[in-house]
Amino acid sequence: MENKEVLNTLNDIKEMMERSSKFKAISGLSIVIVGILASLVSAYIYFCMGDYHINTPAKWRTTVIIAIVLLVVAFATVFVMSYLKARHFKLRFTFDTTMRRLLLNFFIPMAAGGLLCFALLSQQHYGLVSSITLIFYGLALINSSHFSYSELRYLGYAELALGLIDCFLVDYAVLTWFLGFGVFHIVFGIIFMLKYGRRK
Amino acid sequence: MIANLDGLNKAFESKIRLGIMSVLMANESVDFTMMKSLLELTDGNLASHARSLEELGYIHCEKKFIGRKPNTSYSITDLGRAAFSAHIQALASFINTQQ
Repeated sequence: MENKEVLNTLNDIKEMMERSSKFKAISGLSIVIVGILASLVSAYIYFCMGDYHINTPAKWRTTVIIAIVLLVVAFATVFVMSYLKARHFKLRFTFDTTMRRLLLNFFIPMAAGGLLCFALLSQQHYGLVSSITLIFYGLALINSSHFSYSELRYLGYAELALGLIDCFLVDYAVLTWFLGFGVFHIVFGIIFMLKYGRRK
Repeated sequence: MIANLDGLNKAFESKIRLGIMSVLMANESVDFTMMKSLLELTDGNLASHARSLEELGYIHCEKKFIGRKPNTSYSITDLGRAAFSAHIQALASFINTQQ
């Protein structure tokens, strides 16, 4: 009996340390939805742009606008669905140190990568943009995994690896975006849901 | 069934004080409001337990003003970290002797 009590105490300590330092209310379903959106959008770009080589300023402009809209919609989806999940399961969802740390650690690499892409695009260096988006997104995930579910880093490693492979390829931008932002999110989201979906 | 519980620290017998220490072990500093909501406590309850830990020298309490609002934040001291680690060690070794 004593034994059980001591075990409970140790578990309480562990849980409290985790809960106070990590943001644990991300919706797995929203990750899958983001993946589906990204797949559809890359398919649209691939099939509707005449030929899929994004190699003229006009095509880049369209692509960048679509990408920014997609980015905003994706974050809104994750945010709103995570909020709903938190409310449903009575998880913490307040703008406190935990969430602030997560957002900061995610958006610093994202902002750096975004600015770099803008600089490259404005100087008409189109070649590496697709890999840079993936590389910095991967780094942002790895960085923020310390402040949320630690599994996020595996998605980060995958994006990073894909981005680096893409550096060596020419003209596969749409395909790597489809894989990285579409397929990877769907697969990761499903695994994530299987692991965390039903509990708490 | 009376095992050796010598290493246990009386200060951490209360669940609330145990909670405060756990949170501070994992975070550099935590403010009053966040601590309150994490542990689901009332103002007075948290304040009194925090004061007793502060008197033991286990935690450090910093009061300052953000604009006009007073803001209290807590952090763990080296002494507190050592004491809490020893407490956890004692709990763990108790489990080991039972098995």
